[in-house]
Amino acid sequence: MGYREKDSVETHNNLAKPIKSAVDKFALLPEFLKVRGLVKQHIDSFNYFINNDIKKIIKTNDRIVIPQVPSLYLRYTKISIGKPVEYLEHHAEELNPHMCRLSDRTYASPIKVDIEYTRPNQTNKEYKKDLVIGRMPIMLRSSSCVLSGKDEAELAKLGECPLDPGGYFIIKGNEKVILIQEQLSKNRIIIDTDSKGRVNASVTSSTHETKTKTVFFIDKDKIYLQLNQFSKPISIMIIMKAMGMENDQEVMQMLGRDPKYGFLLLPSMQECRSEKIITQKQALEYLQGKLANLSSLRFEINKDDRVKKILTNVFLAHVPVKDGNFRPKCIYTAVMLKRMMDAVLNVETFDDKDYVGNKRLELSGQLVALLFEDLFKTMNSQVASRMEKAYDKASRSTPLDFIHYMMSDTITNGLERAISTGNWDLKRFKMNRKGVSQVLSRLAFIATLGYMTRVSPQFEKTRKVSGPRALQPSQCGKLGVVDVEDLSGEELHAPDSFLKFANAMRKLRRKSVIGEFVSIFVHERQDGVRSFDDFVREGLIEYLDVNEENNALIALYEHEIPKDGHDEDNADVQKSSITHIEIEPFTILGVVAGLIPYPHHNQSPRNTYQCAMGKQAMGNIAYNQAYTLLYLLVYPQRPLLTTRTIELVGYDKLGAGQNATVAVMSYSGYDIEDAIVMNKSSLDRGQIVVKEIYSNETSDRIVRPQNEPRKQALDADGIAAPGQIVRRHDILVNKQSPRNKRDRITNPMALKDWYTSFLIDYAPSNVSYKGPEGETTVVDRVMLYSDKDNKMCVKFIIRHIGDKFSSRHGQKGVIGTIVQQEDFPFSEEGICPDLIMNPHGFPRYYKPNNFLQIFFFFFICSLFSSLHYRPSPNF
Amino acid sequence: MEGVSYQRFPKIKIREMKDDYMKFELRETDASMANALRRVMIAEVPTIAIDLVEIEANSSVLNDEFIAHRLGLIPLVSDDAMGMRFSRDCDACDGDGQCEYCSVEFHLNVRCDSDQTLDVTSNDLRSTEPRVIPVDVAARSLASESGGFDSPDQRGIIIVKLRRGQELRLRAIARKGIGKDHAKWSPAATVTFMYEPEIHINEELMETLTLDEKRTWIESSPTKVFDIDPNTYQVRVVDPEAYTYDEEVIKKAEAMGKPGLVEIYAKEDSFIFTVESTGAIKSYQMVINAIEILKQKLDAVRLQDTEDADIGELAQHLGRGGL
Repeated sequence: MGYREKDSVETHNNLAKPIKSAVDKFALLPEFLKVRGLVKQHIDSFNYFINNDIKKIIKTNDRIVIPQVPSLYLRYTKISIGKPVEYLEHHAEELNPHMCRLSDRTYASPIKVDIEYTRPNQTNKEYKKDLVIGRMPIMLRSSSCVLSGKDEAELAKLGECPLDPGGYFIIKGNEKVILIQEQLSKNRIIIDTDSKGRVNASVTSSTHETKTKTVFFIDKDKIYLQLNQFSKPISIMIIMKAMGMENDQEVMQMLGRDPKYGFLLLPSMQECRSEKIITQKQALEYLQGKLANLSSLRFEINKDDRVKKILTNVFLAHVPVKDGNFRPKCIYTAVMLKRMMDAVLNVETFDDKDYVGNKRLELSGQLVALLFEDLFKTMNSQVASRMEKAYDKASRSTPLDFIHYMMSDTITNGLERAISTGNWDLKRFKMNRKGVSQVLSRLAFIATLGYMTRVSPQFEKTRKVSGPRALQPSQCGKLGVVDVEDLSGEELHAPDSFLKFANAMRKLRRKSVIGEFVSIFVHERQDGVRSFDDFVREGLIEYLDVNEENNALIALYEHEIPKDGHDEDNADVQKSSITHIEIEPFTILGVVAGLIPYPHHNQSPRNTYQCAMGKQAMGNIAYNQAYTLLYLLVYPQRPLLTTRTIELVGYDKLGAGQNATVAVMSYSGYDIEDAIVMNKSSLDRGQIVVKEIYSNETSDRIVRPQNEPRKQALDADGIAAPGQIVRRHDILVNKQSPRNKRDRITNPMALKDWYTSFLIDYAPSNVSYKGPEGETTVVDRVMLYSDKDNKMCVKFIIRHIGDKFSSRHGQKGVIGTIVQQEDFPFSEEGICPDLIMNPHGFPRYYKPNNFLQIFFFFFICSLFSSLHYRPSPNF
Repeated sequence: MEGVSYQRFPKIKIREMKDDYMKFELRETDASMANALRRVMIAEVPTIAIDLVEIEANSSVLNDEFIAHRLGLIPLVSDDAMGMRFSRDCDACDGDGQCEYCSVEFHLNVRCDSDQTLDVTSNDLRSTEPRVIPVDVAARSLASESGGFDSPDQRGIIIVKLRRGQELRLRAIARKGIGKDHAKWSPAATVTFMYEPEIHINEELMETLTLDEKRTWIESSPTKVFDIDPNTYQVRVVDPEAYTYDEEVIKKAEAMGKPGLVEIYAKEDSFIFTVESTGAIKSYQMVINAIEILKQKLDAVRLQDTEDADIGELAQHLGRGGL
């Protein structure tokens, strides 16, 4: 505590002084995280879906019409998603996440709609409110989640860990994350070459109604349009004419005055001419002949209309056509043509598909929205077809009612299935992706966080695999580039670095402004008047994306900006044009890499290894612990040396390691090849590691105890008791099932009556422990609960001891030998190390210059206090 | 070889002696003796520690073996340990406790009934033998007897924390043991020794240095070994024992172009011991017990010496191997 008090006195003194530098900008970061959070992308996108997107989906598909009977229709007027509840027979049970985890249920809310509909032969409309059409899995900590806005004590009451970031779903008791999907930007022109080496320009148009892809390519100097709706590539000039640009001159002028463009367009014009197409009418007629025979278009009778429809709704669908005005589309087409020609003239203007600026990250909200839209449409068409069939049937004994056909599990099951399997198979949107969702790894707190911020790259199958994995300079500061895993993608950078400590360019040039503005900030903060959002609103802080970054020059530190008045002798031209300052340079690394102290002194692959290993660090994974497999450290400690990132994510509250005294020397010969020598007394005194395995069993009937071998762990109720030592093949649940499972029992009371149950023939179907031989394992906890169908479930946590050690620098080792304390080296001061590492291992991993730094961390030093790394308070 | 005696007569000079801390000089002997003493103190002086725990009820957050481990690490007053039997050697019992010669029984029965978190500490351990209690409890009762109010920590050693409704009931048996078997039986917090350093400053060479140079040279030592005499401005040795054999000053002298400025030797026959106790045994008792045990061990060897058969074989073995 002493540390803090001293600190606050110091800050108080600091406040009295005029502040000349912006070193306090670090203070912005926690503020920022309050606003944005580490997994806020997921939560925000899901919230947007629940609160806005879902309404738009309903609005665009708000009618179910039976084609044969136009008077019969159903219209959705409102949609809402309530709090998570589960409807059991005649009563609703409120759900909370931990309950769902324990009892293998889905954490979901009912989707309620208000509808109006008609009945056959009745003129007045019927109304129905709050009709449940399915259940929507709810993302934890989203606005619809019971956890949102709860404080620590309330969370604890719900059995939830306050440090848990949320942002995932619980499907049938499993935690599922929808990974962030990396995708090429929509509605953006990408100039590239295709597999045949032809220059092409493509745009994926995306609007609420449709998603289409438009491709232009140059073949033998002529420019063509490729669209699925046409059976053959169409010359671009014909398209222009079909859209009303009959005059070639006009097209030329749109491309610009430079005759180079004209030359490039000439072959296309000639081709158009040779087809004898001059007027719009001729062009449309020509296009009619080229229509692909797509079944989806069979309803339209008028062919001329079809071509117009394609040009309006499919060709560059994101450019709107108002009142038949094709002008905007013509302009857009011209822009595409011009960019293609630029690429032909100058190779450098090709777009790089891996450039982050050409990509968008698709978040869980969007993916669930897509899924929901698909299922919603499916449900609507099912309802329509059933209504139609029912209408056709002669018997009208019961009046036809939409509501009878609305009750369908299409949406509930579809959502559940997709999220739990990770297969997004949406034919309607031509989407077939696997592994979109994954089970949240709970091996370590950091692994969980790392998972939440991971990006799954989307590369086309035709591409070589190496490209997307290579580092892209534009990823810097956006994606944590250190922590790249084999196939599962990169870690999304904590979004903090998107923002730069911004000063208007002019202000900076006037120099002295900086100091003033920072001091204003500090005083205001004391009153608690301005929040982070205010800074953003006032333009002091800006969010920059990759494309905008190209127009900015960003300094990492304040001292990189020239001081007032006297420009340094040969002041860099660059310096004076700095537009922004990064709030904190360390935010360039992600959460996982941020755990490494002094990463800039490590050899770079070591940082990468450490990123992988940091996720295996044992400790406490959360305050609540009931997951499939988990590792715990018995005596976790807070690191003596923390990084700012550790404090920000709350990792210091969930220790995952111990501070060891380390000697670097060659000792005993049992320490070669990364093995370490351990001090037995240190082990005795509590450097112990415990691993827990969690197994689950559903019992179908009766349990009963008896005094038999292999059953010593059983309690009087036939279930192993906590604290019992179990060995391999020991029985955990003394379960028995009836031999006759198929036939119904004649007397339904038999089961309930204890005496008659003896009459039924039972066979033992015990549950035994299947762990490894020779280890002492103990039943830690037994959990009994009933699942959705009121079947009894028993879950056991079984624990046993493990071993493996690592430093925070990507160096791991096993225990080579355990040595008595009296045999260990000691110093004059009486210091005896906890473990010994062999120095021969070092040169392989580090450059000699870095030795000192690394040693420094092994002898973790509490005296150190630099800007980013400092001893934890309260020590 | 025959008849030559290497017998030496070591001397001990006690510099400082408190219940839990002791510093002494051991002279006129060699490192093997000093190290033997150190090793015995760490690993072979017996104490009493909880070894067997029977958990009757445990609804706390920590699991059974975790609590058992924590109980084991609580130091118990072990003044009687030398007189006790190891439970494996005890013929009065079969080693399951309940035996006055080899074991002491403890009981712990705590339940939290308030909304406040309840700390279960060493204070809650009830001993059946008033002479064997947790050391912090003993220290506190001693402090209150003598009327002193300066007992450092009233809380005791925390075993586990309980919240409302949680309970911990157990029976524990403390036994005699040695640090070799488990560190909980080690009475030593720190046992270390160093060679006494002998520092010779080459005064002549030293005088060629300026005052500033002298200062930087003195400061090159991480510990305060040298100082400047405020009157004569000569460099003098203030605390030779602060020297940690880091050789920084020698390297500094070489870097300054004055090799041989200082010469430091370790006196190979005098040792400075620092002993700190966990409180289980008084530090001086620990040294005495260690010497006693060392004696017993030597006696065991001497006893074997008379039984010619064994030692003859050993000598033969050594003779073959050694030559």
